[in-house]
Amino acid sequence: MKHLIAANAKAKQFSEAAEEGREEEVVAMTSLVGCTTSFDPGWEVDAFGGVSALCQPMEADLYGCSDPCWWPAQVPDTLNTYPDWSTKAPGAQNEWRKLQSVFPEDES
Amino acid sequence: MRTLLKTLTAAAILSAFGLSADIVQAKEYILTGVKPNKLVVIDVEEMKISKVIEMKDSGTAPATIVPTKDGKRAFVMVNKMEAIVEIDLISGKELSKIQLSSDDIRVKALFGMDLSPDGSTLVTIESAVKILPGEFSPMPTRISFYDTKTGELKAQQEAPRQITLMAYSTDGSKVYGLGRALHIFDAKTGKKIGEHKTQEWGRKNFYNPDILAVWAQWENSGVLSTPYYVARSDMDLANPEAYWTGMLTLDLNTGAFNMKDIENTDIFYFSTSISPTDKNIAFGAYNQLSKMNVKTGKALKRVELPHSYYSVNLSSDGKKVFIGGAMSDIAFYDTETLKRIGTVKMPGEANMSLSSLRVFQR
Repeated sequence: MKHLIAANAKAKQFSEAAEEGREEEVVAMTSLVGCTTSFDPGWEVDAFGGVSALCQPMEADLYGCSDPCWWPAQVPDTLNTYPDWSTKAPGAQNEWRKLQSVFPEDES
Repeated sequence: MRTLLKTLTAAAILSAFGLSADIVQAKEYILTGVKPNKLVVIDVEEMKISKVIEMKDSGTAPATIVPTKDGKRAFVMVNKMEAIVEIDLISGKELSKIQLSSDDIRVKALFGMDLSPDGSTLVTIESAVKILPGEFSPMPTRISFYDTKTGELKAQQEAPRQITLMAYSTDGSKVYGLGRALHIFDAKTGKKIGEHKTQEWGRKNFYNPDILAVWAQWENSGVLSTPYYVARSDMDLANPEAYWTGMLTLDLNTGAFNMKDIENTDIFYFSTSISPTDKNIAFGAYNQLSKMNVKTGKALKRVELPHSYYSVNLSSDGKKVFIGGAMSDIAFYDTETLKRIGTVKMPGEANMSLSSLRVFQR
């Protein structure tokens, strides 16, 4: 292993596990890691093909869907990875501008 | 003067029997949560906020809340739904905390939590994941029972996946779990002892119904209810009349279970609640507030709402229906006329999000 340098977080984790004799526990992931892997429509169209049965206004539904990871692909995962994403904006209808994009932390 | 004398006399009589005047003068309150960490107590009669409690280190959104019968304490799911705190609703202090997660096992309990009628036990439905160096390994979903005095785990049992709501039977002998069926568990061991079929109901000329039930709001009526949505299999699905909205009801006292079609689906309800004074009458809320009869299967009345509300509950006298959740106000309506009679804004206009409107008397 001395000629190989871990270039990303996964490889680093493997190196650390190998030192502890736990390399068998590090497996390749075949799916996304988040609270779920689904892309669940909800902002786009309602069950009738229109928009009147969506939440009114959309901001009313934002946290109801993001907090339990209903829309894991559309908004940050506050249930696991970014719990503080909405802390500064407890009222989405007034404070939505405080909601920012999130980026993975550099672990390498 | 005469009123004062009457009050004094009543107090003297109560005192003679060792009772507190608080018992007859009990007031009714709504208990809900707002982001990111507050509990809000609202006086139902006055339609005003009575107390705001800021929880420490609770995080994100207090949504799953269970008040005690005496209305003095509440158990709240916090910390990304990985811990339960016991809050004193009078002092606002945190009394105890149960950590569901440990170093290498992450446990989430989303909406399914209830308190036994004698107050001794909390039941939860939990999703556990073992965190390994390079993967998450899902563990079996489980039903857990915690001692409310010590916080210790009393019993744990593997349970079906996808259960959202948990509710004790009135006598405390059973726990109901609503998921892809209405599961029935023994309240001591957590062992499954029966079920009512919902999604696999096998009903002729109907597909399986769709149910989203995450709001606990049955404390005044003693009847758990949720809407269901279903399409007919013997009709063209392009025909709007093929789609039906119905009501699932479970009487927590008698165990009576029913699923009754109500109306063609032209709107949705996120949740429903049964009237404490007439168990045939239900109210549903989302972008409209509706009144319906779950025995005859008739829609009775409907009014438009100014924005979406997720949750709905009623006062114990059956006269006020209140709606909340999603955004940042609780709206009160007259149950007969469905006219708005009051609005309470949450502190800082913070969102209630998924929080139920729980009701207690104190």
